Amino acid sequence: MTTATEGTRAQGLRRDVRRLGLFTAKRLLALFLTILVGVYLTILIANMGGRVDDLRMVQIQGEVSEMVRGDPAFQDMPSEERNALVQRQVDLEVERLRLDQPFIVRSFDYLHRAMLLDLGRAEQMHSDSGSRDVYDIIVERLPATLLLFGTANFLVFFFSVYIALSLSRRYGSMLDRSVIALAPSSAAPAWFYGIFLILLFAFVLPVLPSGGMVQAPPPENPLHYALDVLRHMLLPVLAMFLSQIFISIYSWRTFFLIHSSEDYVEMARAKGLPDNLIERRYILRPTLSPIITSFLLMLIGLWSGAIILEQVFNWPGLGTLLFQAIGHRDTPVIIGSVVIFAYLLAITVFLLDILYAVLDPRIRIGGD
Amino acid sequence: MAVPLLSVENLRLRYRTRQGPVEAVAGVDFEIRHKEALVILGESGCGKSSLAKALMRTLPRNAEPATGRVLLEGEDIMALDEERFRREVRWLRISLVMQASMNALNPVVRVGEQVAEPLRVLRGWSRERARQRAAEVFDLVGVSTDFLTRYPFELSGGMRQRVVLAMALITDPQLVILDEPTSALDVLTQASIMNVLKRIKREQGTSFILITHDVATSSELADRVALMYAGQIVESSSAAEFFREPAHPYAQMLMDSVPRLHQETRPTHIPGQPPSLLEPPSGCRFADRCPSRFNLCDRDPGAFRKGDRRRVRCWLHAGGSQLS
Repeated sequence: MTTATEGTRAQGLRRDVRRLGLFTAKRLLALFLTILVGVYLTILIANMGGRVDDLRMVQIQGEVSEMVRGDPAFQDMPSEERNALVQRQVDLEVERLRLDQPFIVRSFDYLHRAMLLDLGRAEQMHSDSGSRDVYDIIVERLPATLLLFGTANFLVFFFSVYIALSLSRRYGSMLDRSVIALAPSSAAPAWFYGIFLILLFAFVLPVLPSGGMVQAPPPENPLHYALDVLRHMLLPVLAMFLSQIFISIYSWRTFFLIHSSEDYVEMARAKGLPDNLIERRYILRPTLSPIITSFLLMLIGLWSGAIILEQVFNWPGLGTLLFQAIGHRDTPVIIGSVVIFAYLLAITVFLLDILYAVLDPRIRIGGD
Repeated sequence: MAVPLLSVENLRLRYRTRQGPVEAVAGVDFEIRHKEALVILGESGCGKSSLAKALMRTLPRNAEPATGRVLLEGEDIMALDEERFRREVRWLRISLVMQASMNALNPVVRVGEQVAEPLRVLRGWSRERARQRAAEVFDLVGVSTDFLTRYPFELSGGMRQRVVLAMALITDPQLVILDEPTSALDVLTQASIMNVLKRIKREQGTSFILITHDVATSSELADRVALMYAGQIVESSSAAEFFREPAHPYAQMLMDSVPRLHQETRPTHIPGQPPSLLEPPSGCRFADRCPSRFNLCDRDPGAFRKGDRRRVRCWLHAGGSQLS
């Protein structure tokens, strides 16, 4: 009897692992194709299907003849010779940029480089360490954004899920109703709260810095450095927390209310299981996929709001970078950050796919 | 006389609604002896599922706490606090097969684990020991033990129903409440589930409360029948008496409405609607639809004793001694 049940159990486990592997491979392939198509479309659109090349030809022509004409060494050259020189220089430049090849051939070369995150060089901007590579510029700003928005999101997420779960048990109570009444406070965006918080805690009551990520000059000691960053994070995190928390609690509470009236939850209650086990295994466990989905999508979604918030708090993150890049009309930086964003989105979706399969047997086993 | 397994006295349950309180269970008395199967018959909305919920204390949010006495082998389990009720009564002594048992299984937990869960949690058994017991009850209800490691969505409706039944039997409770266990299943599956129940009753000596609106299926398992109408039990008697010669006019009309094999006349129906439980009539609740109505019916009839364990809530049977 024992060996028989052990056998079926091991068999079940093996079956699950095999299916999980197959599922992962399939999703990875599908996602790779999606990115490929997406990035290629971006290249086609950004180059206007090759029409940008004509503009570039004109630009090269103009630049070269300007240069040759402006050079005193070529001043007394006969005009035919000078034209021939210009033509040679233009041909060289065209060959260097491979504009003599058809656009369609080069577009695949661009695709190849974009897929390898070779994002080219910025036109005007450079990173703090002096690099002009778009990749370096963006990656340098990434940790600051991740730190700030990651912290705020984790706080909002865990607080709201925890509070919502307990509110859903006290449905209709005074506390429940007051949280619901506060939900419209989220109509104002985080930067709106940010302005008031800066006013309050940096000027009326000057206890916290009004912006930036670290004081100047930065502290030498790594511990002091971390503490100083933390101090600078306090207000922006608080601003995001205030603007998100109540609506988040509200929607999770409704979500849990719906899912705690499932038949299997009532069954678990009738079975005499303690409340915390019911919450863990019968409410949270079956609903984990939507919870995690909305968590990860919120993480990505907040980046679009980062531009204003980072401006308000003068935070050196991706939002500020994008703002500056738009101001300088630095196209490679703008396109580069779009490509990085696309990659992050794709990674998130892949992560979600894997998590779904791990969390929900209906997806994992229905996979073949 | 031995102490009955379960005796319910004046059980009442009210729901708060926007229109006012609704008394879904309005003073119900009955008892079940050991190894007995009681069928609670009644039409939709008569309060029979509320009765089951009140007994298991799995009430929805808008219900007020039930009042009355519920004695399990002489001990008043209504007086127990929530935590003691959960630890000592739920599932260990009384278990439940829910009405919507198709959805009663957690979709993301293997059925074997779910079935074994009460033993692991309430009795603190080891995983292996609980698993073996789960395999035993799977055998008992006729589901292959291969399915222990499956998820609910991999099982057919009939199999899920059997698994839910296995879950109700795993702690070897004294009483199993079955709330319309077969209402979502096709006739063949219904029949095979009823056969499983009969076998379990014979072999394990478990007592059952079977709640149903299906007169035909209920007759297979019943030792005793309690007929509910508008929140009250209008007749309770042995199954043989009830099906042969029902006493209450509602019971008589109900039996006449059941189609039978070898029957010359057409089955009849009961005209009218059950009364609203928002404002139940002060007299007999069936009076408006009753063909034998007379002047006494404006007053509430008590339950009249008729024979040893037979009770009828009707003035026509007032010859017996009155209980309440």
